[in-house]
Amino acid sequence: MTYRSQRVAYPYFVVALLLFALQVVMGLWVGLQYVLTVPQSVVDVFPFATSRAMHTNLLVLWMLLGFMGATYYLVPEEAESELAWPRLAIFQLVLLVGTGVAALVGFLFGWTQGRPLLEIPTTLDFLVVAGALIFLANVGVTLWRARRWNVLQGALLGGLVFLAVMYLFGMPFYPNLAMDWYYWWWVIHLWVEGAWELITAAMAAFMLLKLTGVDRKVVEKWLYVELGLFLFTGIAGTGHHYYWLGAPKAWLLVGGAFSALEPFPILLMLYDTWRSTREHGRSLAPGLTWLYLGGMAVLHFVGAGLFGFAHTLPQINYYTHGSQVTVSHGHLAFFGAYALLNLSFFYFAIPRLKGLPEGRYDERAGRWGFWLMTLGILGMSLAFAVAGVLQTYLERIRGEPFMVAQAPMRFWMLIVVLHGLLVVAGVVVTVKHLLTLGPERTSARPAAELQAIGVGAGASS
Amino acid sequence: MSERLAKSIFWVGTLSSLVVFLAMTVHTHRNFAALTHAEALDDKVVAGKHAFERHNCNDCHTILGFGAYYAPDLTRAYARLGEDGVRRRLESPEVVFASSYRKMPQQHLSPTEVEDLVAFLAWVSRIDNHDWPPQDSPHRWQRSTERALASAALSPAAALVQQENCLACHALGTGGGSVGPRLEWIGARRDVDYIARYIANPEAVSHGSRMPAFPHLSEGQRLMIGEFVVSLATDRSTP
Repeated sequence: MTYRSQRVAYPYFVVALLLFALQVVMGLWVGLQYVLTVPQSVVDVFPFATSRAMHTNLLVLWMLLGFMGATYYLVPEEAESELAWPRLAIFQLVLLVGTGVAALVGFLFGWTQGRPLLEIPTTLDFLVVAGALIFLANVGVTLWRARRWNVLQGALLGGLVFLAVMYLFGMPFYPNLAMDWYYWWWVIHLWVEGAWELITAAMAAFMLLKLTGVDRKVVEKWLYVELGLFLFTGIAGTGHHYYWLGAPKAWLLVGGAFSALEPFPILLMLYDTWRSTREHGRSLAPGLTWLYLGGMAVLHFVGAGLFGFAHTLPQINYYTHGSQVTVSHGHLAFFGAYALLNLSFFYFAIPRLKGLPEGRYDERAGRWGFWLMTLGILGMSLAFAVAGVLQTYLERIRGEPFMVAQAPMRFWMLIVVLHGLLVVAGVVVTVKHLLTLGPERTSARPAAELQAIGVGAGASS
Repeated sequence: MSERLAKSIFWVGTLSSLVVFLAMTVHTHRNFAALTHAEALDDKVVAGKHAFERHNCNDCHTILGFGAYYAPDLTRAYARLGEDGVRRRLESPEVVFASSYRKMPQQHLSPTEVEDLVAFLAWVSRIDNHDWPPQDSPHRWQRSTERALASAALSPAAALVQQENCLACHALGTGGGSVGPRLEWIGARRDVDYIARYIANPEAVSHGSRMPAFPHLSEGQRLMIGEFVVSLATDRSTP
């Protein structure tokens, strides 16, 4: 950390982490409702729909706050100047968290817009827009005043403006259900396979630059190519959601062709991460930060790239659409791409915000957290996938009624919940570790010993 | 690779995809009215969509395959369950799903809301979405029932179904009414005994059912109808 105003990032990270913990705990209850028979009296008061709205909105809220905090950390260093209005950034956090809490409490009392992931009532939507405008103004003015443009800032700011503009398409009431879903995907798809990918690429490039000291020119060049491929496949790839909603048949071709290419930019990003770890001369430290960056690159590719590709072609999607197959892909992709991205950034930035020497910290508990979470999510996604394949066969191919097909799936939902326990444990450990990061205990330990226990493995220096 | 080439990859990639996407959006808007029967999208249907959102139905159910995956897809619910089936689930879910391992909340809908939701689901069920979902595909209903009906002339149960005018309310194949659930769908989830008891006295099996009782049929005749209805389901297992 070189600039005082970067400190506003820390409260963003803290709130994001607490909401993350709340999200996974709620997720456990969402999963249990598939396994248990919840009595009517409970269902009447706290239905599945409410718990799911909370689970998904907590996800969106903590990830967006994470991105915003990361942006506030990153922008001063890239622009080489203080943030325009640091206090406004804190006000913005209070505003957004207040809106989020009001929305979550509102859900409990049935105050909802009633559209999945966009449940926040229209009144509160305006507060979200106000918060986003404050954020963009703060970042925009800082960059404008500094007049030091580069592709990294461009990708970040472009992604953030893209994100904010797309949110507007989710606000109106659409009388026609098909058109409603058409524009719903402008928010959801163009977020996760457009705007968020821009932000991810920028944040990842920033961390790689700072951690490895690879040539900036090379990183920037590859960033252009990655972004070009992300947007080329991602924008028209929105069509893979338009197969069965009452849109023209041409979408089957356009959506299928473009989205089939979507794994390539992610693969390029994976290669890019691997290459920058090989080419530079320093050792890969801190080990845990690198574990996160590597984990993100791999699981982003597996969850979003491979699991996404598995059901993106219309011939397959006809049978898997709207089944637990989608759920399996959704969990692994969100975790691999965006949860790990945010956590990587937290592990990168928090030690620096705390002024720990060289950004090193005591890593031990964090490793437990990483592996518990990652193995938990992997197992969970595989169990969802088995449930999804069962559903596809029984309901979609054999034509069994929904509830008949769900019966044998309940066992696999139990497996999901058991892995969910691992995830919750991992998240609790990780959140606690990140909030109490301390200096490295054994900083005097010789490098050879570190090598022996696998810390900094792969370092070629 | 030069930086110039990298930059042009970015711009060509982004802009070409954007052009395709926007052109397709125009194409979609030109076709939406016909594909979704927009002429039938009246105030009642819109009121139904409002009710659908007010009660957060979409965070348990999917519709057009989107939403939560906890409860059945509603795209063809109207065609599958019939008007009365939809209405009864909305009015008294605690009765309909009393023995189910998964419940639907009792939301105390007003009679107007119920009617609006029925109108909304009826409109949705007609959206031309390339025959999705497969389990409710009319083409598949047709193929499987054609075989069953081909032997109907020889089947006393089929004759009974005709004689008692079951198809005035229930759908079968591509014909029949839309008041009660479709016969193939009943056959897939109920056994012969249940169907026979239901025919004898619907009210006793499912409180609030609007189906009339058929006490004039003998036990044997009722079981025969039950067997016929169940047999409709087994044929569906071949896609």
